[in-house]
Amino acid sequence: MRKPGIDNFKYFVGTRSLADIATREDRICVLNITGNESRAVTPVSHAYSGGNIVFGTSPGRRGQVVETPIGNIPVYNNVREGMEAGHKFNVGVVYLPPSAVRDGVAELIRINPDVEKVIILTEKTSVHDAREIRALGQQRGVDIFGANCLGVADSWTHVRIGGALGGDKPEETLRKGSIAIYSNSGNFTTTIANYLSIGGWGTTTLISSGKDVYINYATPEFAYGMANDARTKAAVMYCEPGGYYEEAVTFEKPVVACVVGRWKANLTRAVGHAGAIAGSGDDARAKEGWFMKKFGVTDLFTPENPVCSKLGAVVTNISHIPLALTAVMKLNGVKQDFPSEGNLELKPWFGDDQGLKLPPALNIPVVKALSPYDEQIAELSKHVGAIFPRQSMKDCSGSSVMDPKTQVTKVNNISILDTAKQPLESNLCMALVRELNDANDNVLFNIAVAARVNLHGEAMLAAADAAREAGNAPNTAISAAVALLGPKRVDGARNAADTLVELFAHSGLLTGDDEKAKITPATATPEQLATLLGKTPDAQAEAMLKAFDKRGAKSVFVRYLRSLKGHPTTDAVIAALTTTIAWEPLIRKRISKLTVRNLPWYTHLFSAIIGAAAEGKHHQPGKFCGISNEEMLESWTTTQLAYLSLLGERPTEASLFPFQVMLGLIISNGVGTISAQGCKGAVSADGPESPERVQINKGMIGFLTHTGFAHGGNGFEGIQFLIESFSKTPLTDASVSNHGLDLRAMATEFAVAFNKEKKAGKALGLPVRNIPGVNHPVFKGHPVNKDPREVYIADLFAERGEKNIFHDYYRTLVQALYDNGVTNNVFCVNIDAIIAAMLLKLLWSRYRKGEFSESSMEMAAFTAFLFGRMAGCAGEIDDHINRGRNMDTRTPASQCNHVS
Amino acid sequence: MNVSGMLYGAKLLKIVDFPVSEVLGPEASEHDIHNMIERCGSVFVKPIFRGGIGKKGKSGLIGRASDLKSALAEKERLYFAEYKVGGVMYKSQGVTFEGAVPAEHEIYFSISDSTRYRAPVMTLTHHGGMDIEELDKTQIIEVPFDPLTGLKSFIISNALSDLGAPREIVSPLVQHLPKLWDLFHHYGMSTMELNPIRMMEGKSGSLIPVACDFKCGFDRDDPRVNRLNLPVDLFVTEANDFEQEINELRTYQGQSDVYVINEKGTILAPTFGGGANSLVTEVLGNDAIISSDFGGNPPYEKMYEVMRICLKYYLKQSNVLFIIGGKANNTDIFVTFRAMADALRDYFSEHGPTPLYVVIGRGGPNVIRGMGVFKDVLDALRIPYKIFGFDSAMTDVVNFAQEADHWMKSGGRAEVAKVLGLPADA
Repeated sequence: MRKPGIDNFKYFVGTRSLADIATREDRICVLNITGNESRAVTPVSHAYSGGNIVFGTSPGRRGQVVETPIGNIPVYNNVREGMEAGHKFNVGVVYLPPSAVRDGVAELIRINPDVEKVIILTEKTSVHDAREIRALGQQRGVDIFGANCLGVADSWTHVRIGGALGGDKPEETLRKGSIAIYSNSGNFTTTIANYLSIGGWGTTTLISSGKDVYINYATPEFAYGMANDARTKAAVMYCEPGGYYEEAVTFEKPVVACVVGRWKANLTRAVGHAGAIAGSGDDARAKEGWFMKKFGVTDLFTPENPVCSKLGAVVTNISHIPLALTAVMKLNGVKQDFPSEGNLELKPWFGDDQGLKLPPALNIPVVKALSPYDEQIAELSKHVGAIFPRQSMKDCSGSSVMDPKTQVTKVNNISILDTAKQPLESNLCMALVRELNDANDNVLFNIAVAARVNLHGEAMLAAADAAREAGNAPNTAISAAVALLGPKRVDGARNAADTLVELFAHSGLLTGDDEKAKITPATATPEQLATLLGKTPDAQAEAMLKAFDKRGAKSVFVRYLRSLKGHPTTDAVIAALTTTIAWEPLIRKRISKLTVRNLPWYTHLFSAIIGAAAEGKHHQPGKFCGISNEEMLESWTTTQLAYLSLLGERPTEASLFPFQVMLGLIISNGVGTISAQGCKGAVSADGPESPERVQINKGMIGFLTHTGFAHGGNGFEGIQFLIESFSKTPLTDASVSNHGLDLRAMATEFAVAFNKEKKAGKALGLPVRNIPGVNHPVFKGHPVNKDPREVYIADLFAERGEKNIFHDYYRTLVQALYDNGVTNNVFCVNIDAIIAAMLLKLLWSRYRKGEFSESSMEMAAFTAFLFGRMAGCAGEIDDHINRGRNMDTRTPASQCNHVS
Repeated sequence: MNVSGMLYGAKLLKIVDFPVSEVLGPEASEHDIHNMIERCGSVFVKPIFRGGIGKKGKSGLIGRASDLKSALAEKERLYFAEYKVGGVMYKSQGVTFEGAVPAEHEIYFSISDSTRYRAPVMTLTHHGGMDIEELDKTQIIEVPFDPLTGLKSFIISNALSDLGAPREIVSPLVQHLPKLWDLFHHYGMSTMELNPIRMMEGKSGSLIPVACDFKCGFDRDDPRVNRLNLPVDLFVTEANDFEQEINELRTYQGQSDVYVINEKGTILAPTFGGGANSLVTEVLGNDAIISSDFGGNPPYEKMYEVMRICLKYYLKQSNVLFIIGGKANNTDIFVTFRAMADALRDYFSEHGPTPLYVVIGRGGPNVIRGMGVFKDVLDALRIPYKIFGFDSAMTDVVNFAQEADHWMKSGGRAEVAKVLGLPADA
């Protein structure tokens, strides 16, 4: 049954005065209270308004609460449940997605006959639904505000309902005064209130009307409410083109109307506000005319031509509103609510001309921001490094992203097709410091890794060997070693890194290798010095410094350590090396201080993983796989060390390149991979909101234990397939072009045999086996299919004039499968085939000589995967520590299924 | 999102069984055209313009032919006809052949949403076939009605009585016109106009309303439009590649509305809020490349993508990157600025530096952290910039951005290029 409305209107209007729009007595129910926008806005509104929200709804979330500074708001599945629980409300606030708005309004007003007002925040509600919402409200006698509005607020009663008028600090903008604001723009409602307060005017009621085609609480209702509100002495209205809402309205109190959008007449469709598109009679000029006629003025108000009357003024620039209002009110004998609080002149809070000579109009000096922003700026300038906002990082990464179309992953916005061209050392650092290394960075990092790759005498090695002897795969054996590299083992280096950051943070140093920079670090305290210097000479540190000199490396921090004239510790030297690499991204706020602090830990873990992959017998006093520690420190790269550990031999330039490409290609396959999920779960469980408690070595174990024969070991299936295909050939060298084999004949023979096997299997109902390395769920369905990653690698090697018979065989095979009717189109050769072909090419001659068994080959393929993927997973771990929330990777019980 | 003409109009009207004139598309064979002329006596040849373009008849863009030779001559004349509406030139993409419908009465009918009544309204006259603006007000009737019950027969009947319509047209219109509400309301339309509906004599001697021209606008926020399975490229000409790419990001969380004002503009102004959009568009005029509203608290990923696309298309030609909004209510400035700054940094990494002056004006939650992030990136990229708080008048900030553009045009760009180590004409 429709409630009686106000007689003055032909349609239903229930609110008599602006003072009744947002009152202390209003009690509110919020639909979709746990939605993204509501979650941020509702707690602030609730606290500002003294706790006016009685409950919210969110289907499936009954029992949850929305926390606010003044207590929790209960959540129910629907309005009925909330009311059955005893809650009463008279205002509904709708935060639902557009397709649900109409039904939400119907729910509110049909379930609860006491509803008087509904405020719809949602943007992009269809006109179809808006039509019906209007009719529903009229039928039931409910005042509706919006849609696409930012709600209503009252500066006198300290109540705001619905949206975020006044932002996250409403009391800052919603100053008590005598002016009502009605605005088609939510943002301008706040901005105008802000401009008014600078001009000495406070506010009564603020209404963000929305600017869809249907405006439910429109100008006629506002004019009526203003007339009946004793607090309001005048109003400011902000109007845009489109709609006849303002045409026939009479105001009983002065009004400053701001009409913006003359230029919009040139647009053929709305941008932003759906209703802000005019026909011939309701454009901005027409609206200016309506208001001018009402106010009895002949021109627009500008500071130069301040045309106004006692009834009002029309402006087209929102900055002129305070001036126009003051002028209109002066004619009415009304003074400002409080003294002006400054002016709206240009005041840059930040600026840098980069040394350019600018004309006077642009050469405005940076000024101190108004309080409390000046203090925030001062604090900001003290801070070094990035601060990432925390959020749930389940299935979410700030480190890697895979393009679903191309299946090419990017790590820190660098494609794996580009990381394939980088040495392992650069990729390992890039995953953490988010930028690729330069040559000096590579040298520094190589020294840091080489220093700890020989695990002779370390319990880590014994643990890895014991795990291997128990029959474990490489990932498990390496995990055993990594478990022993806990926080206590790396605290020395982490504290040293902290000291260096603290001492140099405000020195003006921009890059860590700029030894010529004229900077002065802060003076170290005795406690800080203790993190850098030991009482006696440290042999390892000295060996590293010797290698540093020999390699001609540069580091401001190493130079600083030496200037201390003491005995730098190994930890301090490692920290100096890693901090040099991280300094530039730190200063540019690409990475956090936390990442710089943990960089020595990651570095140590990389050393341990590379070292522990080789059996104990390869770790000798002073030697690793036959290479002296000194030589490794002074000339080896991390890529070479990984090769040495994996294959037990010194690489040549020719053998190292494909190895590097292979590792670079597999550093990440996006956040959805099991390995990424494993390491992120480990971080999440420790609680990244207390980052000191996160065990990074455990994160690495999470990665390692989430690899296996199916994920990481599957490169071997390709190798096995290639061995089967080539074992009966006389091939001894896979890199020569005159190998004498007829690949086409071999491929055809295989295709024919495979076809037979397939048909026979089909007759028996047996599943058809897959050919490893062939076909891809994304790159399929075309006459000829290509995996872009495979194409890229093929081109890369072709450019270098390098042959790989196994890769050639794969390419011949997919054609032969098609030619012989096995496949409907030419399948692609996928990335697994590339990895298998590259690794097998490296090992083929040794396999042929019997030096490398098939099982060692399988282990090598698996370990190679671990070496590459540890870069991407280290990046995920660090990213999750910096951004994640405690236990954020858990899946809610409601999304889990039971099977029996 | 507009459709005009009978090529698609007939298909849409058939959904609700509304009678339509015979229509052939541009692929019609001479045989088909000849047959149509035989059946209908003559055909109208009309160019196909995508979008809702009216008043073609007045501009000589409708041909009529009673024989095949004339029909083909009209086809040749109109197939690629050009038509200027406002500042935009539209080009025809073929022609339709529409069978003439002999009739004594021509009806004008439309449905739209009225902001005067805040309800759907039907506009009706039996003096159709011409511009409705040219008729006397007494000859037209505008009737609001309740969308919950829809456009009912009695509303049509009452309206025709009020108009004093000839009795022979009343019954057929009362029978057929309510169907149009179903088409309008259930398929996401925001406007619909049939002019003329010609009252053709049926076999029994009674009149049948036959739609002879059709125009409608669709609400792009209404998923009901998808029920029609219209070809995806039907509306494409209304947006360029850039707008198309941005539109793909159109979700309800965060705005992503853009309109290319001037492909050759020099100020790239990502704007936040519908109000700021009006103001900035107003002041910058043709200096602006785009008119946009990216407010509504977009998440990082969306903001990054929006900015990436903006930069991809327009940064190279821009003198000024101008990021402007009022004092935000709920848009997180840290999140949006971080996304935009990251996109700018990544653009420089990928494409190399380009001379630029950056002007920012904003307020709202986490404003200082947001400004701080942008400042760091601009410092790192060595781009000159000024960042204003919300205590600077927004219009003055817009004027400042324009001033920066003037300076860049008169030698400043070369100076910035020098700082960035680029050639003067970069």
